[in-house]
Order: sequence, then structure tokens, then C-alpha cells
Amino acid sequence: MIAALGLVVGLLLGLTLQPEVPLWLEPYLPIAVVAALDAVFGALRAFLDGIFDDKVFVVSFVSNVVIAATIVYLGDKLGVGGQLSTGVIVVLGIRIFSNVAAIRRHLFHA
Amino acid sequence: MGLLDRVTAQSMDQDYAEVAARRGHRPATAGDDGASPDGPSAAPAAERPAPGVVGLLVIALFGVLVVTAGLQTSRQADDRASGRQELLEQIADRRGVVERRRERAAALRAENVRLEEDLVLATGSGRTLANRVDRLSAATGAVPLRGPGVRIVVDDAPNAATDQQRILDRDLQRISNALWQAGAEAIAINGRRLTALSAIRQAGQAITVNYESLRRPYVVEALGDPDTIPARFIDTRYGAEFLDVQRTVGLRFEVTTEGDLTVPAAERLTLRHATTAEVPAQ
Repeated sequence: MIAALGLVVGLLLGLTLQPEVPLWLEPYLPIAVVAALDAVFGALRAFLDGIFDDKVFVVSFVSNVVIAATIVYLGDKLGVGGQLSTGVIVVLGIRIFSNVAAIRRHLFHA
Repeated sequence: MGLLDRVTAQSMDQDYAEVAARRGHRPATAGDDGASPDGPSAAPAAERPAPGVVGLLVIALFGVLVVTAGLQTSRQADDRASGRQELLEQIADRRGVVERRRERAAALRAENVRLEEDLVLATGSGRTLANRVDRLSAATGAVPLRGPGVRIVVDDAPNAATDQQRILDRDLQRISNALWQAGAEAIAINGRRLTALSAIRQAGQAITVNYESLRRPYVVEALGDPDTIPARFIDTRYGAEFLDVQRTVGLRFEVTTEGDLTVPAAERLTLRHATTAEVPAQ
């Protein structure tokens, strides 16, 4: 409940403030969002598993975002460009999928 | 364990399970998704640890991130679309410009060709005209001339008592005519160029050339072949007449050939009455 509230507050905040993303941060934003998405789904699954922990959530969220951004940055600097990001997206995508599948099993017992 | 299997198995952070185990909660493994679907749901909802204030903040942050990314993407899409539109317009504009420039280049090229032809004609006729002017001004006395020639000095006989013993206009006329006949190209008498307008006349005691009085002795300079002029001079009618008179009354008459003579330009060549009739260009 409190999580849904936080999400709504965040969405409204983003919509009203419409923060301007600095140019140097622009390439990292999408993949950071995907990483955050992974952390959130992981947290949701942990919550449904009954093993949710605030600290773990915060740490995993922050570290996910930072690592994803770092990998994009590294890829840029190393000249492999979007290919490292692709790897990140694939792994995170698989994780999100399996987490969502677990959540689905929890919710619908199917 | 294959990479995909590993990724799938550890899709949830293992920390959750570890922390839960440490706290003495019901042990759960990260890799049990699907293995015991009834396990978690069996636990009462009240037991589930819910996110606290920090979790709320992080989730709010997540919301902000999602919205920002979405907005950013749509904004960029707009930018890209408008940029594309602008580029298309620019392309059309520039194409028009290129087209106009190309037309202008073609026009200029055509004009260039035309002007070049004009130039060829102009330089051709200009050169012809310049040559003609050079020729004519040399012949008419408009310019000073230099070259080899002969110098003839004539003077009255010593102790002249009668007009016969003096040089008269008639004598200078004869000398000039004889020189012209002998092939002289330019003649000056005491530095006065003879032209088609020149007159050699007696005015009282003095002889005038071009209406200016001369003083004795009279120096006639003629440009021409110095080897042939003296001989041909004697052969001409006027030359023979003069030499007859000269010999008879003892007039002074000296002929010297010169390698480098200069005759000045005529002082007056202006025509007062005659104008150019239309002459077909050569």
C-alpha cells in the first residue's frame, strides 16, 4: 500500500516538475530506468515471498542503477558503444521476466 | 549452470533471502521460484515486512525516473521529428538555391563565352587600329621619329649681294621635294617637322617653315636610307635644279650621313575645316 502510494507520489512529482535531464546524463537514463525496474520487481517478489527488506531494496536499487550507468559509460569510453548496454538490457530483461513470472504465480497461484 | 539458467535462477537479489535467514524469518532461497509457489502465499499477509519510509522514498524516486525518462524520450522524438521536418525544408530550400545558382552559372558561362568572343574581336580590331595609328602618326608627323638619315646644311653664298646668291624659300622647297622623292621618311628643317600642312614661304628677308621664321644656316634633316638618299637626291629633278643653282652662285651645301637622327613631332596637326569622310576599315 505504502509502495503504491510512493509510486503515485513519484509519478506525480515527475509529471509536475518535469525535471530537465542534463545532456551528459541523457544516455544513462533509459538503462538506469530498466535497472530500477528490475530492482522494483525483485522487491515486489521479495515482498510477496515475505522476505522483503528495506535496506536490501534500497541497496539493490541504488547499486543496480549505478552499475547500469557505469556499464553504459564504460561501453562509451571503450568504444563498444551500445553493445555493453545491450548485454545489460538482456540480463535485466530476463530477470524482470522471471521475477514477474514468480509474482504472477504468487498472485494467481498459477 | 548455464548462463541463462543462472540469470533466471538468481533473478531476485539473493540478499533478500540472506537477510531474511539472518533475521530468523522463514528460510527462503532465491532460486525457488516456481518450486514452491504455495510457500510464500501460505505466510499470512500480516507477517510480510512492508517497505518503510526509505522504501517509499526509493519508489518515489523510481516513479520520478520513469516519468523523466518517458518525457525525455517523447521530447527527443518531437525534437527529432521537428528536426527532420526542418532538415527536409532546408534540403528543399538548398535545392532551390542550387538550382538557381546552376542557372546563374550557366548564364554566366554563356556570357563569358560571348565576352571572350567580343574580347578577341576587340583586341583584334584594337591591335589593327593601334597599328594603323602608329603607322599614320609616324607618316603624318604626329610623333617624333628617330633613325639613320642625312643632314644637309645649306646657306647663302659668302658675301652674297643678290637674292640669287641667297637661299630662298624656293631652294628649301626644292631640297625638301628632292628628299621626299629620294625616299626620305621624315624631314625637319631647323627642327620644324614637315607635314602635309607645312608651308615653306619667303616672308621678307626670312624664310618661314610652318609660319615660323628661320635663321641661317638652314639645316635639313631627313630620315631614310643614308646610303641611297644622297645619290637619289642628285638624280631627282628638284635636286638637280638646286645643285645647278648652287654650283652657279656658290651656295653653301654640305651633306653628311648620320646614323642616329631625331626629328621632332609637328607642332600643329589640327584640321580646321576638313573632317574624316567615312572610310571602310581596312
